[in-house]
Amino acid sequence: MTTVLPPAPLNRPRTLMVGTAFVTSAALMFFGCLFAIYFSIRSDTLAWGMEWFPENAISLVPGGMNMATLTISVATMGWSVYAVKNDDRIHAYLALILTALMGVAMINQTVFYYMDIGLPIDHSEAALLLYVITGAHLVMVGVGVFWLGLLLLRAFGGQDTSRHRDLVSAASLYWYAMVFIYIFIWLFIYIGK
Amino acid sequence: MKNESTVVERIVTTTDSGTLSRYWIFSALIGLLFSSVAGLLVSLERIDLSSGSIFSTTDEVFQFWAAHRVALVLIAVLPLMIGLATAIVPRQMGASRLVFPRVSAFSFWVWLFGALIIIIGFLANGGVGTPEATSETQSVALTLMGVLLTVIGLCGASISALTTIVAGRVPGMSLLEIPAFSWSVLVAGTMWLATLPVLAANTVLIYADLKGRAPVNFGSEQVIWEQLSWAFTHPQIYLWVLPLLGIVAEIISVVFKNKISNPFLFAAIGLMGLAGFGAYAQTYFDIGTPVFEEAFSIIQAFIAIPAVLLVIAFISPKIKDIKEFDKRATTPTVLATLSIILLLHGVVVGAVHVIGPLELATRSTVTAQIVLTLGSGVLAFMAAFSWWGELLIGKPIRQQKILISGVIIHCGVGIFAVADFLVGFTGQNDFTGLSEFTAGTKSSSWGDALNIASLIGSSLIVLGAITAIGVCIKQVLSKTPATGNPWDANTLEWAPKEKEEVA
Repeated sequence: MTTVLPPAPLNRPRTLMVGTAFVTSAALMFFGCLFAIYFSIRSDTLAWGMEWFPENAISLVPGGMNMATLTISVATMGWSVYAVKNDDRIHAYLALILTALMGVAMINQTVFYYMDIGLPIDHSEAALLLYVITGAHLVMVGVGVFWLGLLLLRAFGGQDTSRHRDLVSAASLYWYAMVFIYIFIWLFIYIGK
Repeated sequence: MKNESTVVERIVTTTDSGTLSRYWIFSALIGLLFSSVAGLLVSLERIDLSSGSIFSTTDEVFQFWAAHRVALVLIAVLPLMIGLATAIVPRQMGASRLVFPRVSAFSFWVWLFGALIIIIGFLANGGVGTPEATSETQSVALTLMGVLLTVIGLCGASISALTTIVAGRVPGMSLLEIPAFSWSVLVAGTMWLATLPVLAANTVLIYADLKGRAPVNFGSEQVIWEQLSWAFTHPQIYLWVLPLLGIVAEIISVVFKNKISNPFLFAAIGLMGLAGFGAYAQTYFDIGTPVFEEAFSIIQAFIAIPAVLLVIAFISPKIKDIKEFDKRATTPTVLATLSIILLLHGVVVGAVHVIGPLELATRSTVTAQIVLTLGSGVLAFMAAFSWWGELLIGKPIRQQKILISGVIIHCGVGIFAVADFLVGFTGQNDFTGLSEFTAGTKSSSWGDALNIASLIGSSLIVLGAITAIGVCIKQVLSKTPATGNPWDANTLEWAPKEKEEVA
C-alpha cells in the first residue's frame, strides 16, 4: 500500500531568492558572452594596428555619472531591505522610490548619451558591441525599475513586511547583480575604451 | 463557486504541472517530426552529389540542413526533457506543484510562440543565414527572434524546475538524497542556464547587426550559422540530453530492485555535465596558444567517455540481480538500454572526430555524432514515457506500441549514424550542398551506397516519430483509467498527488 504524503509547504521563504539567483546567473552568462566577444575582437583589432573606437568617441563623463548613480542606488537598495526587515514602512517607501529614481536617471542619462555620441551602430564592430552591451544592460535596469515599481505597489498595500520580505530581498539581489555588471561596462568600455 | 471559464481559457491559463508537461511533450513531438522531415529531405538530396535532386540551390539545401539541427535541439529534444522535468520533478521532490507555476506556464507559451516563428522563418526563406546569402533578411531576423524566444522559454522552465529541486524539496530530503532523475535535471538545468543565455547573447548580437542596415560582421548571412553552430554540435549536445542518465538510473534501480549508490552516480552525472559545456567553442573565442587550445579540446572531447562509462559502471552491477527483474518493465528497460548504447556511441564518435590527423572535424561524421547523441535523448524520452506514462497522461501505457516505435527510431538512428560515420572517412563534408565540389567528394558506388543507407535511416526516424506521436495521442484518448503504480515502485513520484491549480 502506498503512503499518502502531505504536499510540501508552498511559498517557502527561499524560493524567490533561489529563483532570482538563477535568473541573475543567467544574466551574468549573457553579459559574460558579450564581453568575451568584445575582448576577443578588440584584441584582434588592436593587434592588426587598427583603431577600436574613433578618437574622442567615448566620453568618460556619462559612464562615470552612471556608475556613481548606480553606486548610490546600491546603498538605497540596501536601505530598503533594512527598512522592510524592521517594518519601517516610511523609510522603505523612501528607499524604494529613490532606488527606482536612480534607475530612471541612469536610463535617461544613457539614452541622452546615445543621442549625443555621434557614433552610428553600423560604424564598426566596436560600435555595435557598445550599443548591444549597454543596450542590453539598459533593458536589465528597466526590468529592475519595473520590479521596484511592483514592490512599491505591494508596499503601499502593506504586503512587504519583515515576515514577507522575500520579494524585496530578491529584487535587491537582482539590483546588485545589475550594478556589478555595470562596473565591467564602466571599467572596460568607458575607461579602457 | 461555479467555474465559468471556457475551454480555451482553461488551456491557455492552466498552471497545472501535469497539463503543462503534456503540452511540452506533444509540441516537442511535432517539432521532432518537423526536424526529421527536414533531415529526410537533406538525405534525399545527398543521394546524387553531382546535381540537385529536389532542391535547386545550395542555399535551399542549407536552410533545411540547418532547420534539422536547430529544430532537433530547440524544438524537440530540449522541450521533451523539460516536459518530463515539469511533471516528474515536483512529484519526486514531494511538492504538489512547481514552485513558480505561472513562470512555467509563461515559459511554455513563449517557447511555443518562438518555435512556431522558427518554423515559419525557415519556410519563408529565412533560417540562420546561408552560404550564398540569398535568404530574405526579414525572414532571417524572424528566425533569430524565434530562437531568442525559445531560449527565453526554455530558461524560464529550467529555472522553475531548478528552484523546485533546490528550495521546494520535502523537508528532510538532502540534495544527495534526491532521485537520480531530479539530480540529472539539476545538473542539466544549471548547465542549460550557463549556456542558453550565451546562445541568446549571440542571437541578440546577430539580430542587432542584421536589422535594418548593412551588417558590420555578425549579421552577415555567411557567418551567422558559424556563430550559432556551437550550440548544435559536440560537445554542447551532451548537455541537451543529460537527463537521459537520470532516466536510465531510475528505471534500472527499480526494475532490478536495487538502489544505486547516489554520491558516485551523481558525481559521474556532474562530470558529464561539465564535459558538455560547449559555449567556449565559438568563432570569436581564442582560449590561448594553439597547443593549449588543442589540448583543451581533446580533454573536453574525451572526458565524456569516462563520464558515460562511470554511469554505466554504477548502473550495470544491478543487472546481475537478473532474477529480480520485473518482466512487466521490459519496454522501459530495453528503451533505456538502447538509449545509453546510442549515447555511448555518440560520445565515442564525438571523441574520434576531433582527432586532428583523421580530418573528420568538418565531415559527415559530425552529423553522425549529433544524430546519435540527440537520438539517444529521444529514446530516453520514450523510455521515460513508458515508465512514467501513467503519471504523465493519467492513463495506462500500451508498452508494446511504445517499444515498437522506440525500436524503429533506434534502428533509424543506428543506420543513419553508421552510414554518415563511414562516409565521413571518404571525405564527404558535413554540409554537402549541391555539387561534388561542395560535397568534398566525388560520387562513388561506396559513397552512394552509404548515402542511400543514410536515407533509409532518416526515413525510419520519420516513421518512428510519426508512430510515437500516434501512440501518444491514442494513449491520451484512451478511456481506461490509470492503475496507479504499475511497477510497485516505492519512490516519491508514485505517491498519490493532490491536483492543485494556482488561483
